[in-house]
Amino acid sequence: MTAGTDVAPVVEARELRKVFGPIAAVDGISLDFTPGRIYGLLGPNGSGKTTLIRLLVGLARPTSGTARVLGTEMPERQVLGRIGYMTQADGIYADLSVVENARFFASMYGVRDRTAIEEALDLVDLGGRHSTPVEELSGGMRRRLSLACALVHRPRLLFLDEPTVGVDPALRVVFWEHFRRLAADGATIVVSSHVMDEADRCDELLLILNGRVLARGSGAQIRETAGTHDLEGAFLRLAGRAAPAAEAPPREAPPNDREGAAS
Amino acid sequence: MNVRRVAAIARRIANGFKRDHRSLGLLFGAPVLVLLLLGWVIRGQSSPATRIAVVNEAGPLGAVIVTRIVDAARTGGLQVVDIGASVDSARAALADDRIDVALTVEPPGTPGSTGGPVIELMTPGVISTDDSLHVAAVQRALADAVAGTGAPAVVHRVLYGSPDPDVLDSFAPALIGFFGFFFVFVLTGVSFLRERVGGTLERLLATPVRRSEIVAGYSLGFGLFATLQVVVILMVAFGSLRVPAIGPLPEFSAGLGIANAGSPALTFLIVFLLAIGAVNLGILLSTFARTELQVIQFIPIVIVPQALLGGVFWSISSLPDPLQPIARVLPLTYAIDGLRNVLIRGEGLASQTLQVDLLVLLLVAVVLIVLGAATIRREVA
Repeated sequence: MTAGTDVAPVVEARELRKVFGPIAAVDGISLDFTPGRIYGLLGPNGSGKTTLIRLLVGLARPTSGTARVLGTEMPERQVLGRIGYMTQADGIYADLSVVENARFFASMYGVRDRTAIEEALDLVDLGGRHSTPVEELSGGMRRRLSLACALVHRPRLLFLDEPTVGVDPALRVVFWEHFRRLAADGATIVVSSHVMDEADRCDELLLILNGRVLARGSGAQIRETAGTHDLEGAFLRLAGRAAPAAEAPPREAPPNDREGAAS
Repeated sequence: MNVRRVAAIARRIANGFKRDHRSLGLLFGAPVLVLLLLGWVIRGQSSPATRIAVVNEAGPLGAVIVTRIVDAARTGGLQVVDIGASVDSARAALADDRIDVALTVEPPGTPGSTGGPVIELMTPGVISTDDSLHVAAVQRALADAVAGTGAPAVVHRVLYGSPDPDVLDSFAPALIGFFGFFFVFVLTGVSFLRERVGGTLERLLATPVRRSEIVAGYSLGFGLFATLQVVVILMVAFGSLRVPAIGPLPEFSAGLGIANAGSPALTFLIVFLLAIGAVNLGILLSTFARTELQVIQFIPIVIVPQALLGGVFWSISSLPDPLQPIARVLPLTYAIDGLRNVLIRGEGLASQTLQVDLLVLLLVAVVLIVLGAATIRREVA
């Protein structure tokens, strides 16, 4: 909670829950995100990160609880014009060229300004590949184009679902430089990842497991709470502490099953 | 509805086609190929002279009839083969493919007789269409033989279309409708499936785009290509450009030169409405497929029954009674009927049956738009 700050939160969630059949993918998450900061959602695959993002973007309707984004309760179509969303899949058209993809998403966001498109493509270093068909791009280039398509409308709030998966270390550094620059310009960035060493680049982390927030704070704070030297260890230790309480009542998993807690 | 977004989605589809030459080939090349092939098969059907043998089993009276038949057959252009005078030798000749039809003059009193002698025609019965052609040739020859004898002559005229009966005349409108539906359905189904599976739909829905804009953009994009397809098909079906003989190739007509009475604008209207229905059916059914192959698997369910019942091959009224109501709810039925009304009968908007056709197509399109749009959900419940 960032109670006491004088800036209105960009994202506010209260007791968000999303249930699919017997499974609660998001199980009572509350959060406040303030402008100009990078937030990291950290957790293993299947922990509920993507569902949380989809709830915040308004692509899913919560079973209970509320999500307010840029002052509006989601889902709300109009707000989407100010949000950027880079999906886990590339989500770009393989049969279009680089610039056709960027122009297409710009049109969807209602952007007519061509310079914004150029800027986004230059930002991801695809400015010289306008007419290259996506089919001929490398995996890393596709990831970059995917990011550019989430930036064409200069969003104030950016959701990036595992943006660096399949991206080589050098490009990862470039990506994080972009994110930091955007945040410095006042944008709020929410990055999900299951790569722990990336997490330290975020201003604030939320460790997520089984749809719940396990811990939150800066990387240093979390390490301190857990009493470990690295985030990975912190995560495992915190997950170990949380597991019996979280697992025991609803599921019939054996009490010593640590696998179930971590995966 | 934001026109720019609709246009951008339609342009996206067009840009995709630009690089997807195979789909372009499917859309434009395949119908032309099929139409030309069909035209060639039907028009160029070699009808070799019918070979007959005549056997007399009815004594002296029969002999007179046999002479009359042989004379008539010769003047009628039939080939009379001498195979001996017994029924057995005629059967053997049929079996060996030396003759196509064996005529036997049976004495009065044989089954089927109305008092006089009976002329029995026997054909191999292997390929019924061939048999019918030969029997028809025999009947024509015999009718010609009696033409001058004071018996009433039968002359066949037609109200619509060309006086020379040509199966292509009724096939062309049916094929235009069929292709318009088939290819647009398959291409949209696959295209929208890719949107769903490839994550672009998820991403699209994270923009302020409206569902109606997606549906309109798709309808416009694919509707445009369906209309272009019709232009090409119409040029091939109704055009008649003679291409002179080159080398070993005989002279042929590029374009089938089918008699056409219709208004192009109404033709487009029908195909456009049908295509919009097909686009949204593709969007709808792409929900129930996970792979492109599964989209193709819809063809036997969605396309083939429409081809069988919709009037491509048989008219609705000739279908078995229980199938007729089914045929009457299929969009292709109304498209084909509408296209026949326009192209063969030359009907205009004043025609009531055409009004019904257009109305039903519009209704089907609207229903499918609503159903298709319902499958594009921004918030998953």
